[in-house]
Amino acid sequence: MSAETSSALSPAFAGLAQKANEWLSVIGGFGVLLAEILRRTFRRDFDRTEFLRNLYRMGIKSMPIVTVTALFTGGIMVIQAAPIVQRYGAYGLLGWGAGFGTLREIAPLLTALMINGRVGANNTAELGTMAVTEQVDALRALAIDPIGFLVAPRFLAIVTTLFLSTIFSDALALVGAAYAGLGFLGVEPAVFYRGLTTGLLGFGDVAHGLEKSVVFGVVIGLSSCHFGLSTKGGAPGVGRSVNSTVVASAAGIFVLDYLLSFALS
Amino acid sequence: MTASTEPTVRDLQQSRSALAGALGRLFLDLLETTRDLYRVFVLTLYYSVRGETNRPAFFRQMYEIGNRSLGFLSIVMGFIGMILVYQGGLQTQRVVPDLSLLGATFLQLLVRDLAASICALMLATRVGAGIAAEIGSMVVTEQVDALRMCATDPIDYLIRPRFLACLSMFAPLVVLAAGVAFLAGMWTAHAFFGINPRTFANVSLVSVGDLTIGLTKCVAYGAAIPVISGYCGLTAFGGSEGVGAATTRAVVNSSLAVIVLNFVISGAGYLVFG
Amino acid sequence: MIRLEGVCKTFDRPVLSDVDLVVPESCLFGLIGPGASGKSLLLRMITGLMRPDRGKVTVAGNDVLAMGDMQLHEYRKGIGMLFQNNALFDFMTVAENIAFPLRRLFHLPESEIAERVAERLSRVDLPGFEGRLPAGLSGGQKKRVGVARATVTRAPIVLYDEPAAGLDPVTSQKIFDLLRAEQRAANATVVMVSSDLDRLLTVTDRVGMMLDGQLIFVGTTDEAKNAADPRVYQFVHGNVDGPL
Repeated sequence: MSAETSSALSPAFAGLAQKANEWLSVIGGFGVLLAEILRRTFRRDFDRTEFLRNLYRMGIKSMPIVTVTALFTGGIMVIQAAPIVQRYGAYGLLGWGAGFGTLREIAPLLTALMINGRVGANNTAELGTMAVTEQVDALRALAIDPIGFLVAPRFLAIVTTLFLSTIFSDALALVGAAYAGLGFLGVEPAVFYRGLTTGLLGFGDVAHGLEKSVVFGVVIGLSSCHFGLSTKGGAPGVGRSVNSTVVASAAGIFVLDYLLSFALS
Repeated sequence: MTASTEPTVRDLQQSRSALAGALGRLFLDLLETTRDLYRVFVLTLYYSVRGETNRPAFFRQMYEIGNRSLGFLSIVMGFIGMILVYQGGLQTQRVVPDLSLLGATFLQLLVRDLAASICALMLATRVGAGIAAEIGSMVVTEQVDALRMCATDPIDYLIRPRFLACLSMFAPLVVLAAGVAFLAGMWTAHAFFGINPRTFANVSLVSVGDLTIGLTKCVAYGAAIPVISGYCGLTAFGGSEGVGAATTRAVVNSSLAVIVLNFVISGAGYLVFG
Repeated sequence: MIRLEGVCKTFDRPVLSDVDLVVPESCLFGLIGPGASGKSLLLRMITGLMRPDRGKVTVAGNDVLAMGDMQLHEYRKGIGMLFQNNALFDFMTVAENIAFPLRRLFHLPESEIAERVAERLSRVDLPGFEGRLPAGLSGGQKKRVGVARATVTRAPIVLYDEPAAGLDPVTSQKIFDLLRAEQRAANATVVMVSSDLDRLLTVTDRVGMMLDGQLIFVGTTDEAKNAADPRVYQFVHGNVDGPL
C-alpha cells in the first residue's frame, strides 16, 4: 500500500475497519478457545471437582435473580397481551398468547441476559483477578493446564447452569403470567393453563427455547472465560474486562437468537 | 442427660433460631442497603439541583453513555426488530391469515414497552458495568478517600454527572433504537411475509397513554441505572477482586431494577390507560 | 496538637485496642510497627475517614468525632495527606492533581494556583511535569507528585502513609529529607507511617510503635533506639532473634 493510497482513506473508514478488525480478532479468540475446550471435554481431560463446585456456586447464586426475573417477566407478558386480549375478547387464548412468546423467546433470552450479568460477569471477575495476580502463570509453572483446570469446568458449568435455569424460568414465568392474568384480567388460572395446552403450543416450542439456551450458554461461557483470562492492568483492568464480556455476550446472544430463530423453525 | 443420638428439643430450637437469625440478618442487610441506596439517590438529586456545575465531566459522560452505546444498541435493536416481526408474523399466521395490523401492533409494543425496556437492559449491562468499574477502581486505589480529604463528596463529583448524562441521553437513545428496530421489522415483514412497507408503517394503534408509559419508563430507567451502578461502585472494597464483584453487582442489580420497574410501570399504565 | 484517647476499633477481630497517643505541635512523629498492626487505621482516624467504635479523637482542640459533614470539610482544610498508593486521580494531569485541593478547599484565583503548582513541582524536583498524566510516571515520580499535592495547601497538619514504599534507597532518602525540610519550613505537625526504619529514624523527633493494634511505645527517637522493651528494641534494630 503506497503512501498516497493510505492517506486517501478517510479517517472514518479507517476507524470502522479497525473496529471490525478488533471484533474479528475477538471472535477468532473465541473460536480458538472453543476448540481447546471441546478437545479437552471429549477426552474427559477436565477437572471434575472444579466443574461440580462451580456448578453448585453458579446455580445457588443465580437462583434468586432467575426466580424474580421469571415471575416478573410472566407478569409483563400478560400486561402486554392484555389490551389485545381485551380488544378481541379472547380470554381463553391468554395462556397461548403469553405462553408462546415466553417459551420460545422471552424466557430463554431474559434468562440468558440475567445469567450473563450474574454468572458471566462474576466468572470474568474471578478469572481476571487470577490473571492480574499472576495465579494463572503460577498454574502453568506447576505444569497444570489452565484450560483443563480452570476454563473447561467453568465453561461447562455455565452452559449447564443456563440450560437448567431456562427450564426453571419457563415454569416460573408461566406461573407469574397465570397470576398476573388473574390479577389484571380476571382470568382463572385453570383457564390460563387450558389455553397453554390447546394444541397450538407444543413441546416443540419448549424445545426451541431450550436449544437456544444451550447456544446462549456457549456464548456466555466463551466470552467470560476469554475476557477473564486476557485481563491486564490491575484492578481497573478487571473492571474493563467485565464490561467487555457483558457487552460482547449480550450482542452475541441477540445475533445468535436471530439466526437460530430461522434455523430452528 | 442421656447420651441419646436423637435430636433433642433444644437442638431443634437452636437450629430454628439459627435459621431465623440468618433470615433476620438477610432482611436487615436488605433494609440497610435500601436505606443507603435511597440516601445516595436523594443526595444525587440534591447535588443535581444545588451543586456546582461541572460541564466538562457532564459532556464527557454524555459521550461515554450516549455516543459509545449507539453501535451496540443499533445492532441489538435491529435484530430484535427482525426477530419479533418474524416470530409475531409466524404466530399470527397460525391463527389469523390477515397480517395487515402487524406493523401497527409492533409499533405500539415498541413505544409502550420494548424500546425503553430492551435499551434499558442493554444499557444496564454496558453503562452499569462501566460506571461501577470506574468508580470501583477509584475506591480501591483510595482516590475516593483523596476526594473526601479535599472536601469533595464523591456523590457530587462522580455520580452526579453520570446521573444527569444518563437521564438526558436515555430518551434520545430509545427513540433512535426504536427507529432502528422498526425499520428492521419493516424489512423483515416485507422480505418474509410480503407486507407492503406503507401498510406496516401504521401509527393508528399508538395512543397518548402508550407514549406516556414509554416516556415514564425512559425517565425511570435513566435515573435508576446510574444511581444503582454508582452505589455499587462506591461500596467496592478489596482490590481487583472487589472491583470485579462491584461490577457484577451493578449489572445484576440494575437489570433487576429495570425488570421490576417495568412490571410496576406497565401494571400502573394498564390500570390507568387500559 | 493531635490527641487520641482510648481509641478502639473491631472488624472481625480487634484491630485497635485502647490507643492513647499525643502528638505535640510542630513535631515530626514516626509511627512504626509490623504489618497489619493498625498504623494506617490510626491515620484514617485522625482524618475522620474512619470512626472508632470507642474513644476520642481531638485535633487542635476540636473533637473530630462530633463533626458533621460541613465541619469535616472545614477541618480537612487544615490537613494534607499522602496515601499509601498515592491515590493520584488518573483522569487528571499532574497539575490538575496538585491544584485539586486548592480549587476545592480554598477557591483561589487561577494565577495563584498555577504559581503554587509550579513552586511545588520544582520543590519535589519535577519541573515542567504539569501536563503529564499519572499513568506515564514512574513510581518515584508518582510519590513526589503525591507529596506535592499533600503539601500544596500549606496545612498545619500533614499525614504521610508509607511515603517511600517501593522506592530505591537513594530516592527514599531524598524523599525523607524533603519531608523533613517541608515540616521545618511550614512548622507543621507531621505523622509519618513507614516500614523503612533506618531512614525514618533519621528525620523523626518522636516515635510510636504499634503491635497487634496496641500502642506499646511512645518516646523520642533516641529513646526508641535504646528502648528497654525488648520487642521495641528488636524491631528498631531489625534483629532476627527476640520476642517478635
